[in-house]
Amino acid sequence: MLTLIYGGSSSGKSAFAEEYVCASKHRNKYYLATMEAKDEESKNRIERHRNLRSGKGFVTLEQSVDIAEVLEAIVHIDSGDFSTSSTGTDSILLLECMSNLVANEMFRDGQVNSAKEIEDKIIRDLMELQNHDMSVVVVSNNVFEDGIEYDQGTKEYLRALGHVNKRISVMADEVYEVVVGIPIKIKEG
Amino acid sequence: MVLIIGGSYQGKTAYARDNFPEAKYFNQLHLFVKKRLSELKKSYEILDEIKEATKEGTWVIIADEIGNGVVPVDSDDRLWREATGRILVELAKDADEVHRVVSGLGQRIK
Repeated sequence: MLTLIYGGSSSGKSAFAEEYVCASKHRNKYYLATMEAKDEESKNRIERHRNLRSGKGFVTLEQSVDIAEVLEAIVHIDSGDFSTSSTGTDSILLLECMSNLVANEMFRDGQVNSAKEIEDKIIRDLMELQNHDMSVVVVSNNVFEDGIEYDQGTKEYLRALGHVNKRISVMADEVYEVVVGIPIKIKEG
Repeated sequence: MVLIIGGSYQGKTAYARDNFPEAKYFNQLHLFVKKRLSELKKSYEILDEIKEATKEGTWVIIADEIGNGVVPVDSDDRLWREATGRILVELAKDADEVHRVVSGLGQRIK
């Protein structure tokens, strides 16, 4: 099961995504955090998200690039006695959020990777997580509607994120757009 | 209270007049938030002020969607975008109805 949750900045998409994951009856709930704590503002954002999900039984995995690498930790936890809940048999992973992951993959190791390269890589990594028989919920951003003509680098980033969103939508069982905290289902399972 | 949200120039005000002709209007809420932030008001104070101002009678609150773009370079713009988004989410929870207007067409989403 693959779900995409899409919305603008501060639209309430994370709160909805967490509700959505918590309403599903999975044995283990994983939160894949892609944001790097670079400065005060991102630290505050991370802190806000931590508070938002505290007490909801998530295991947090921090992975700013190469997301398939979290599988090792997940396999370890799933097979051990560390289960966060005793009901259900499978796991669910909430990836928050795609806009950070695309930026991190694009501008990594002091290089600028092309949109095409990173789109393929991210989709490949995502498929690997999916192949592990795990439900995946991806939170992604609508950053496409301000009508501003950006520089080439930003355009390349927007292109990559737009394409990744589209490819996830095609594969997804359900897609939601969140507007002022209200989820609108735009693809039915 | 009725909340109407949508991009700029989408016909939100005309839609509001057609559907809620008897109501009182709080239009351009996003600009109100910007003004209050420039006066160094906190998000929750702005939200309280809006709730206080709209508690008597039937109100229609209209706001532009300003969150669907690239993260602004200017920190005041980022603050404004976030405050407006969070305030709208809170107002939407309280609202009896929420409508979204896209090219003049309204869709009731709550």
